[in-house]
Amino acid sequence: MSRSDWNQHDWLLIHDDPQPPALHMALDQVLTDEVAAGRRAPTLRVWEWASPAVVIGRFQSLRNEVDLDAAHRHGIEVVRRISGGGAMFIEPGNTITYSIYAPLSLVEGLSFQESYALMDAWVIDALAILGIEAWYQPLNDIASAGGKIAGAAQIRHAGAVLHHVTMAYDIDAAKMLEVLRIGREKLSDKGTASAAKRVDPLRSQTGLPREAVIGSMIETFDRLHGLCHDALKPEELARARELAANKFHKHEWTAEVP
Amino acid sequence: MHGEYKMPGGKLVVVDLDVHAGQLCRVQVSGDFFLEPDRALRDINAALEGLYASSDEAALAFAIQGALAADVLMYGISPEAIAVAVRRALHEGAQA
Repeated sequence: MSRSDWNQHDWLLIHDDPQPPALHMALDQVLTDEVAAGRRAPTLRVWEWASPAVVIGRFQSLRNEVDLDAAHRHGIEVVRRISGGGAMFIEPGNTITYSIYAPLSLVEGLSFQESYALMDAWVIDALAILGIEAWYQPLNDIASAGGKIAGAAQIRHAGAVLHHVTMAYDIDAAKMLEVLRIGREKLSDKGTASAAKRVDPLRSQTGLPREAVIGSMIETFDRLHGLCHDALKPEELARARELAANKFHKHEWTAEVP
Repeated sequence: MHGEYKMPGGKLVVVDLDVHAGQLCRVQVSGDFFLEPDRALRDINAALEGLYASSDEAALAFAIQGALAADVLMYGISPEAIAVAVRRALHEGAQA
């Protein structure tokens, strides 16, 4: 198999109504499988959140990462995603989250670092158009001079690659620090003392409403790679709902690394 | 016992474990690293289970490496980084 180019694929856009956290986790698994099986064309999915969440990485310890009492107190659902990486604190209006589901050929032969750089390139362009000079910061961040803007995670599964990114549009840092346990070791080579200072959200950097930032990002993707509007197929949604109920809502999955 | 290590330019590796009769038990490796396929985490935990608490970093890393299937991919983590986190957990436990 030789490597394919973005423009060799017909990209589809899914930008649905707000959905609950566990359904988002399930949709990532289902749509990655669909692209792997060749039943779905490569897709960009922009997420809308129906409720707040902490999303922990595949290999993170639930009790080490999350103060479950604080999460419960704030009505925040804790879910585990299928990809590695770190915990994200999500409030519906505060983050911009998207997933790219692509055939493995797009990253064929690339190292992890090269494939993160490739998958993040379009959003670096989109941020430049919004007046933000940003760059891919290995291993899996997007950063600007002001601090971290976004975190990415990638998983290669069967014949497809999933690359999903959460960008900070705005942040309630005090609440985040109540809910997430962010240890000193984690910050040891970041050169900053406070976790809140590590993030520089898009709202303050662009002065634009969240919807306008998303609109501009979609325009940039369309201009670079082409993009046609699409929607979830009924069978995709049905499968995702089943997975949300039987896997991502289950304590055994969320606490799989206790 | 609990140990953490962030390898320079890498991700955080966390190890929680107990020691029983001089051997590691209930070993749980976790962190914000990337590991494919995901079942490799179980193999890593299993490789550490039962090792002597006196094992040095090289011996721990060797045991982990030996348990990894040929298709395992690591990003932001290595057998050596896990070994450091294990030693830190044991060291902290010894001081407690």
